[in-house]
Amino acid sequence: MTNFMIETRNLTKKYKGTSAVNALNLSIPQGEIYGFLGPNGAGKTTTIRMLLGLIKPDSGLVRMFDQDLKKDRISILRRVGSLVEYPSYYGHLNAIENLETIRSILNVDKIRIDEVLHTVGLTKDAKRPVKGYSLGMKQRLGIASALLGSPELLILDEPTNGLDPSGILEIRELIKQMPKQQGITVLVSSHLLSEVEQMASSVGIINEGKMIFQDSMPNLQRQAGSEIHISLSQPEAAMIIAREQGCFPRLHQDQLIFKGIDNGQIARLVAALVDARHSIYRVEERRKSLEQLFMTMTANANSAERSIVEAPRGAGLRKEVAQ
Amino acid sequence: MKTWIAAIRSEKIKLRRSYVLGLAVIDPLLCVLIGLMSDLGTAPEAWNMLFTIMIALHALFFLPILTGIFAALVCRYEHAGGGWKQILSLPVTRNVLYTSKFVIVASLVALNQVLFFATVLGVGLIKGLDVSLIPWGDFGMKLLAGFVACLPLAALQLFVSAWWSSFAAPMVLNVIFTIPNMLVVNSEVFGPYYPWAQPMLVMMRAGGEYDFGAFGLPLETLLITIGGSSLVFILAGLTYFNRKAV
Repeated sequence: MTNFMIETRNLTKKYKGTSAVNALNLSIPQGEIYGFLGPNGAGKTTTIRMLLGLIKPDSGLVRMFDQDLKKDRISILRRVGSLVEYPSYYGHLNAIENLETIRSILNVDKIRIDEVLHTVGLTKDAKRPVKGYSLGMKQRLGIASALLGSPELLILDEPTNGLDPSGILEIRELIKQMPKQQGITVLVSSHLLSEVEQMASSVGIINEGKMIFQDSMPNLQRQAGSEIHISLSQPEAAMIIAREQGCFPRLHQDQLIFKGIDNGQIARLVAALVDARHSIYRVEERRKSLEQLFMTMTANANSAERSIVEAPRGAGLRKEVAQ
Repeated sequence: MKTWIAAIRSEKIKLRRSYVLGLAVIDPLLCVLIGLMSDLGTAPEAWNMLFTIMIALHALFFLPILTGIFAALVCRYEHAGGGWKQILSLPVTRNVLYTSKFVIVASLVALNQVLFFATVLGVGLIKGLDVSLIPWGDFGMKLLAGFVACLPLAALQLFVSAWWSSFAAPMVLNVIFTIPNMLVVNSEVFGPYYPWAQPMLVMMRAGGEYDFGAFGLPLETLLITIGGSSLVFILAGLTYFNRKAV
């Protein structure tokens, strides 16, 4: 008995001898926003296509809702909404007609069209031909199509790709609401760590077709080794105060840099520094970029891979979800 | 069955505002010109003469070309906007999707036959032919047979159109194979097996007045060929479509 929405075992897809996806073990618990992270060409879209049955894996198993994708594809797809790569649309039709082509197959109530258009904020433009839409609007229409069948699982492949900042914000807020309001599990892929960080509760990192990290978001943040940079007056004197507080910073360009300290420690430290009449100019958190993280992770890839095989995660993650 | 009707409904919505469908009007328009220019007299066979004259252009060229256009059209909007990956992620089997597209193509061909028949009647009335002499049964049979004869071609073109992501390529191919029709219909060997010529062969068969070339073959032989090749092309298309990586 698992309560994974998606589970893959040794999923593999080869193109001309090279593996696009190589023995991938994906496990996505219910109610999560799962960030599927990796650089372009890492195998994210290939994996997602296999999850939807658009391409057939060379080997390996896909289970969704505890059903085998090979055997129960149709009943699985009824519970899944998806947006793959770039939005699909019929340019000569308007938004309502576009959704109607899908609605007639999903056989859901007509009212759903108004509902999803409202959700993505397209009600006003619903009667215009879609070919005149901006990319952001097409993207939102794509998400509306994915939501139309009231899915339990939403698979969104790079949903913020090519959007402007306000569009990105909108889509992100939309995605973040899903598990809360409707109990939907979301798989969202991206090549931007910062973006995944802002919405995902768990994360899987894929590189060259291999899963190199899969755990909860807080655990990734620990791995990413975020640092707190404090810039302030008289940094040398501040070093001593910090040591008294039990923190051991290093000094770099008049900034104190702390590794691996938690919120409580920061609060106490800042209070102590203020008491000692230091002027604090800024306290900021800096993370390793995704590239740096990849470097560290691919360097440890062999050992990391072993640990994933040895300890199929999930138990730890569920605990974290419960908290 | 229910999902099939749903899929056909979905295809019907996609055809809305398709200007390509406007091309279908060229067929009856040009056939009208030919019909009006013909000299029919007032013999009892005048209706048959008019029908045969108009068929020459319709069945020999427009019917096969339009069949190809319809097949390309139902695939075009999927290729253009990334529709394949969307509809194939829906809870519907690939067999249902493919066959529903075939039904749409066949329906458009049928509609085209009806439109053609209407123009024949119109031209006949303009020419002052006697309405009571219209051989309804004969015309009906020919139109129906012509429609059926388009099915192998529709299946073949749908296969090619689903395969090639270009809209123009399958149509160019179709036109290239339609042009030699004039020669092929005269060949007893190739004519019956040439999907582009079958509509002409079937629609022209009227009481044996055309018994040269492939026209001399019995209708049953033609229909067996047509039925068989339809089945082969549909199965080939389905096999391909079920394996198609999207």
